[in-house]
Amino acid sequence: MAGSNEINANESKMAVPLNTWVLISNFKLAYNMLRRPDGTFDRHLAEFLDRKVSANATPVNGVVSFDVLIDRSHNLLARIYRPAPATAAGSVPLLTDLYQPPSTDPFPVIIFFHGGSFAHSSSNSAIYDSLCRRFVSLCDAVVISVNYRRAPEYKYPCAYDDGWAALNWASAVPWLHNGKESKPRVFLAGDSSGGNIAHHVAVRAAESGIEIAGNILLNSMFGGNHRTESEKRLDGKYFVTIQDRDWYWKAYLPEGADRDHPACNPFGPNGVKLEGLPFTKSLVIVAGLDLVQDWQLAYAEGLKKAGHFVKVVYREQATIGFYLLPNTNHFYEVMDEIKEFIQANL
Amino acid sequence: MEPMKLQRERQGNLRGGRGWYGAAAEMESEKKKAAMAEDSDVDELLAALGYKVRSSNMADIAQKLEQAEMAMGSSVVANDDALFFQLAADTVHYNPSDISTWVDNILSELNGPPPPPVSSPPPNAPAPLDPQKRHPEALPSDAAQSSITTVELPLPTRRPAQVYDLEPLPAVNVARARGRFAYSSDPQMDVVDPSPRDSKRIKFCSSPPSSSSSTTDAATSTASNLPAVVVDTQEAGICLVHALLACAEAVEQGNLQAADALVKQITVLAASQGGAMRKVAAYFAEALARRIYRPPPLGGVVGCPSFDSVAFDDMLHAHFYESCPYLKFAHFTANQAILEAFAGFRRVHVVDFGMRQGLQWPALLQALALRPGGPPSFRLTGIGPPQPDNSDALQEVGWKLAQFAETIRVDFRYRGFVASSLADLEPSMLLGKNSDDCGGAEKEEPEVVAVNSVLELHRLLARPGALEKVLGTIRAVRPRILTVVEQEANHNGGTFHERFTEALRYYSTMFDSMEGGGKSGGERDQVMSELYLGRQICNVVACEGAERRERHEAVEQWRERLTGAGFESVPIGSNAFKQASMLLALFAGGDGYRVEEKDGSLTLGWHTRPLIAASAWRVAAAAADSRFAR
Repeated sequence: MAGSNEINANESKMAVPLNTWVLISNFKLAYNMLRRPDGTFDRHLAEFLDRKVSANATPVNGVVSFDVLIDRSHNLLARIYRPAPATAAGSVPLLTDLYQPPSTDPFPVIIFFHGGSFAHSSSNSAIYDSLCRRFVSLCDAVVISVNYRRAPEYKYPCAYDDGWAALNWASAVPWLHNGKESKPRVFLAGDSSGGNIAHHVAVRAAESGIEIAGNILLNSMFGGNHRTESEKRLDGKYFVTIQDRDWYWKAYLPEGADRDHPACNPFGPNGVKLEGLPFTKSLVIVAGLDLVQDWQLAYAEGLKKAGHFVKVVYREQATIGFYLLPNTNHFYEVMDEIKEFIQANL
Repeated sequence: MEPMKLQRERQGNLRGGRGWYGAAAEMESEKKKAAMAEDSDVDELLAALGYKVRSSNMADIAQKLEQAEMAMGSSVVANDDALFFQLAADTVHYNPSDISTWVDNILSELNGPPPPPVSSPPPNAPAPLDPQKRHPEALPSDAAQSSITTVELPLPTRRPAQVYDLEPLPAVNVARARGRFAYSSDPQMDVVDPSPRDSKRIKFCSSPPSSSSSTTDAATSTASNLPAVVVDTQEAGICLVHALLACAEAVEQGNLQAADALVKQITVLAASQGGAMRKVAAYFAEALARRIYRPPPLGGVVGCPSFDSVAFDDMLHAHFYESCPYLKFAHFTANQAILEAFAGFRRVHVVDFGMRQGLQWPALLQALALRPGGPPSFRLTGIGPPQPDNSDALQEVGWKLAQFAETIRVDFRYRGFVASSLADLEPSMLLGKNSDDCGGAEKEEPEVVAVNSVLELHRLLARPGALEKVLGTIRAVRPRILTVVEQEANHNGGTFHERFTEALRYYSTMFDSMEGGGKSGGERDQVMSELYLGRQICNVVACEGAERRERHEAVEQWRERLTGAGFESVPIGSNAFKQASMLLALFAGGDGYRVEEKDGSLTLGWHTRPLIAASAWRVAAAAADSRFAR
């Protein structure tokens, strides 16, 4: 067994830059210690190990951030990122400046759901703070990173409820409104579990008549009872195992549910029909070395069959987490795709 | 970073004196050059994500990660799940940003001595000490097993509060008769003779606040972060904040008429607010008014503590301790580091730079009493400011603690020192006649020292050279550990407006936490706590020069100062983090309190804003000293 682990390590090492390999392997080692076989999670150790950053109202590379409490009863926080207001360069923006629209031109409002397989990370995790700042610079967006409740302490549908609350909150904030319209141009985005959340919040939005300009799903987390070919082929090869995927689904889904639950498998036997709903347009980014890819591609197919627009960006040589470090073509080209998608649907 | 440093140096020159600050700046840049040469090897991309990894070390770390994974993988495959997770649960982690040492620690756990059988005592039970495992870089995990609340924690329904309260002390009939107590030397009340220049400092408000060159500016690497948690996004709240900031700017520009008008506006706006924002605005408005009008100093003027207010200060401090978890967390975390540092020693000595009512020590005494093999012999030196009415509060605290120690059978000695400033202390005073310094330790058990400073060091920044003196004194005492707790904020740097803005954010968050957090203590505690904080606000905003003693700095700034003075970080581990988090959940009720780890220190904050930081230090290369080798 030790021998095959070695081979796996060499394969994944060849697929990514060394510092990326160290970063993701570091997470993998830590996460292995946090997931207990009985289904409980070492939350305190998880919080100890997670690298966090403060919000910063002083512009850094033209971006400022600040935290808001969206819902006091759940302590639902979100971190808001926006282009630095046009005050004198180098000075601290006044609080009132932060609450002005960043531009008179239309600007995207990206509601972002961080990844972590429903259990890990927070909106103030360093990896996600970095990514959200990147999104602001990319398309002069306001990004709202939602600190949703996590599994296993909070199972389905808590994460979706929090996403829904954030969407409703954002829709009512005056300075997020674009120009003459009295509503924001909202994009829902997320990686891993965040992508899954973006889908389900978009469904609720479609059912409720809230208009979403677009969905951006990065290596999103879907699954099902059936073992797909990519899962079997790539199990354990590029940082992720079927076993850990199963653990996270078990932690998030209701007691007794299996992976054909609609949260996990939206186009599976228990899925909700999306035909006829004003469901938004989707950009689905798939990494070719991600064992979940068959489920992500099936998801895209499901959207197409239901008559909804979807663009799939397939990065054959990319692994999970490629978007965390700006050190590959995958990173830059995918960012361009995202920018293009947003601008086309603004 | 660089531009801000230059700006402050220029300001220093304008104020007419380079003095201490000038010399320090030169030393700083030399150290910075050396650090930068090392730093240029750090992987920038990983640094942006909170990890410190040297590029030259990357391949080595990758290999270690692989090894750790294989070691884990094989145990899981061999169906040794339970064993593996027992091991994982027992491992104490330190400083996760340093991936190299973090993985080393895991590897040594996985490859170390055979793991205990699964039916072993719970992870928190103290394990036998293994002296060979003690290495200088990290505290060994076995020593870290002993903890303060070993007895209490597994039973969540038991209220562990007794480790924090003084109430459970047996009813102390404080007899002034000295002979009653079972310790070897009479408790001493040494009054440190102030040097001639110090006697002037006793009169705090004798001169108007001035921006003199004698003040100490913030350490050069200011945390340029201005973190914010904004809870009130309603229009009126925003206008109020806007008015406060505009007023501060007007004051800075010397436009006192505009400032005056704004103060009045603020008062009106504040009245229409509720809760925390109203109170915070009121304190800041009052502080601004004082700064504008600079009333002639009186005894007891808010923000300019005088002789008369020391007892009052202590009382407010005690209420703040009761009403919210910040000080409890600080004491708990510092005590954990001290406990670990004391492991294996039979004679221990704690020097408390701010004795006050000694709220920190019953818990430590209790933990020491529960140590396997019995408690050490414990000596406490308490430092406190002079009391105007010559009352001996410092003495009384000692009596109470001695009583308590007696009931739990810990051999306890106490000595109190009165000092107007910590800078008046000399090492000989702290080591005292019962010390074992200057060698000759063969016959006597060596005494190990912990120096503890809770919210004391920042005051020293009001007088140039004072911090240096105190750090030198600490070094000379050769402590095994120095625990430092400070407000996690930069209230000592930049322009007045920047300081005001930072303080407004900090205290807004603080007040909000007291409004929203699970309330412990009563209403009186809350009111007194607000006053306690209000006095700090007044000092930060209305005072300057030597009077401005609330010169808070963030832990990164303290790190620079301490490493520059020959100290190195002793990282606080995941065990302390876990226990602090668990206790917070029990105590505070409200979900908003958060413990975070950063570069070896622990912070407690409200939501995402850290408000207080606890860190531990030792003299660099002290581990090489044979006196401490065991």
